[in-house]
Amino acid sequence: MKVAYLSDDRMTGGTVLEVKNLKTWFFTHRGIVKAVNGVDFALNKGECLCLVGESGCGKSVTALSILRLFDSPPGKIVEGEISYSGADLAKCPVEDLRKIRGKDIAMVFQNAQSALNPVFTIGDQIVEQIKTHMDVSKDAALQKARSLLSEMSIPQADRALKMYPHQMSGGMKQRAMIAMSLSCDPGILIADEPTTAVDVTIRAQIMHILGELKTNRKMSIIFITHDLSLVREIGDRAAVVYAGKVVEVAPVADILRNPAHPYTIGLIGCLPDISTELKRLPSIPGSTPNPIDIPTGCAFHPRCPKVMDVCRKVEPELLNISDVQAVACHLYDSQGSTK
Amino acid sequence: MNKGLALFLKKITGPFYINRRLAKYYLDRLKKNKLSLAGLGFIVLLALVGIFGPLFVKDPQKSDFNINNLPPLGFSIQESVYDIKTDTFTTKVIAGRPDHPLGTDSKGRDMLAMLVSGARISLFVGLLATGIAIFLGTFIGVLSAYLGGWADNVMMRFTDVMMTFPFFLLLVLIVFIFGPSLAIIVLVIGLTGWTGAARLIRSEALSLRTRDFVTASKALGASDARVMFMHLIPNVISLVIVMATLSIPGVIMAEAALSFIGLGDPMSTSWGTILNAGQHSLDTAWWVAVEPGIMLFFTVLAFNFFGDGLRDAFDPKADI
Repeated sequence: MKVAYLSDDRMTGGTVLEVKNLKTWFFTHRGIVKAVNGVDFALNKGECLCLVGESGCGKSVTALSILRLFDSPPGKIVEGEISYSGADLAKCPVEDLRKIRGKDIAMVFQNAQSALNPVFTIGDQIVEQIKTHMDVSKDAALQKARSLLSEMSIPQADRALKMYPHQMSGGMKQRAMIAMSLSCDPGILIADEPTTAVDVTIRAQIMHILGELKTNRKMSIIFITHDLSLVREIGDRAAVVYAGKVVEVAPVADILRNPAHPYTIGLIGCLPDISTELKRLPSIPGSTPNPIDIPTGCAFHPRCPKVMDVCRKVEPELLNISDVQAVACHLYDSQGSTK
Repeated sequence: MNKGLALFLKKITGPFYINRRLAKYYLDRLKKNKLSLAGLGFIVLLALVGIFGPLFVKDPQKSDFNINNLPPLGFSIQESVYDIKTDTFTTKVIAGRPDHPLGTDSKGRDMLAMLVSGARISLFVGLLATGIAIFLGTFIGVLSAYLGGWADNVMMRFTDVMMTFPFFLLLVLIVFIFGPSLAIIVLVIGLTGWTGAARLIRSEALSLRTRDFVTASKALGASDARVMFMHLIPNVISLVIVMATLSIPGVIMAEAALSFIGLGDPMSTSWGTILNAGQHSLDTAWWVAVEPGIMLFFTVLAFNFFGDGLRDAFDPKADI
């Protein structure tokens, strides 16, 4: 009884995007980099799903794979399914995907500094973006751009439209970037560490904007981060990614309170607690595996404090341990299943 | 296609017009380089002479053997004249005349008129052939960098072949086959001269291609053509301008060289043609070869100085 992905019915609205056993590999001269190696998750309507993990665990490549934005060659989706409104985005032709990019699924990047074209004004870039997907006049597009910038609480939207990226502050650029990705009213927004490159006050603004998108526009958001405090702030559910696989999925409250996978336990254990005094922050021993040479069995077994013999040989499957929580760990299947 | 061209022009030249502040910034940087300004001044002067000069000077093709080999104004030469009646040689002094301030050649054509006509031809060939070459180079470079993979490989190996092929030999061959006309010369120089530009622009576009704004625009549904025209080309345009400026002198020299070896357009008077005529009479009329030589020298120098200045002005890392 494998329930590899979780559709949380409490959210209602149903699933809008479903990723099943996605494998994106990069064929380099040093070997096959298995950046995404069997990711499963489902995104429900109007929820914010957080992809959490360390650097290099494959969360960004997962996001890029959904819109097939990685460089190909060397990258290739070798296996898996990305279901979006009846289509399989992993296999459909690029031309079809292009109509979905920006219109149905939009993406916000980590570094707004470099994600805006330096030689055009913000207004030009947003207008061009709108006109790509919609058949509207330039004035209407400009009007829309202005209202989007206002919605992002950018002061003096008229002036901002005429600005070049270098004339804006980092926070303004990031908000302009979000405005641009929202220009065609997409249903899904993929935010790839949108707050990494900005300072804490801007981060608060951006998190606020994303929160409002979720409540006002009923947008489904995939939020990629390594920062558990942001997960707590905005996330409805979280998927923990390790070595290109989802090892645990659960509602944020559950995952923070009762983490099941030893890796998740370790990750949350690394968070400093304000009530106790610490000399040194705890950490998980070892380092993330080289994606060219992923350990056999469970990829986490060399670092796992509860490693068993079976972990070294058999790869665990993502299985439900409760109505809302799924985990890929032999600690749980050896008790429940017939193995 | 026309719409695309209009968009291209608007997006490329527009920023300089709309963003006066930026245009002024570049101009200020350019002004700091005096040599480059002098170069620009010379080019502007030459352009004015090329455009309006022919209206004011004599017909460069009109020969008059009564006044051949007149020296320039302020110079004089001695000529031995055989007098058949007395059967003696008398030495005659011929001085330059104000109605032919730069002298005349062996057929009595006015040097000033020929040089002015030559300026027009040189600039015409230089700008047009460079335009074709740079357009091709930009297009091939950006396309090659953007497509990558085997398409990149094919295009770059083709560029290599074009580069190693002796360009001048090809030029001579094609002109020999199709006959010497200005249009053929412009086309041949343009169609063979794009290789260096293509390589440089490819390398620049390769790094631009991996920048986030390219991925971001793809993530928002931009087509390949739009990524190339909206994101890659506008970002390499300063490089294109500098390269165009620096490659004009080479083209002018190539045209002069072709004319010099007698493969120029016989219907038009270019500096190379005059040089060719002058080399036969270097001992009797040195000015016929020297004057177009001086013009070529300063024109090439002016474009090089101006191009260097532009490169520094556009380079944000250059400290000037």
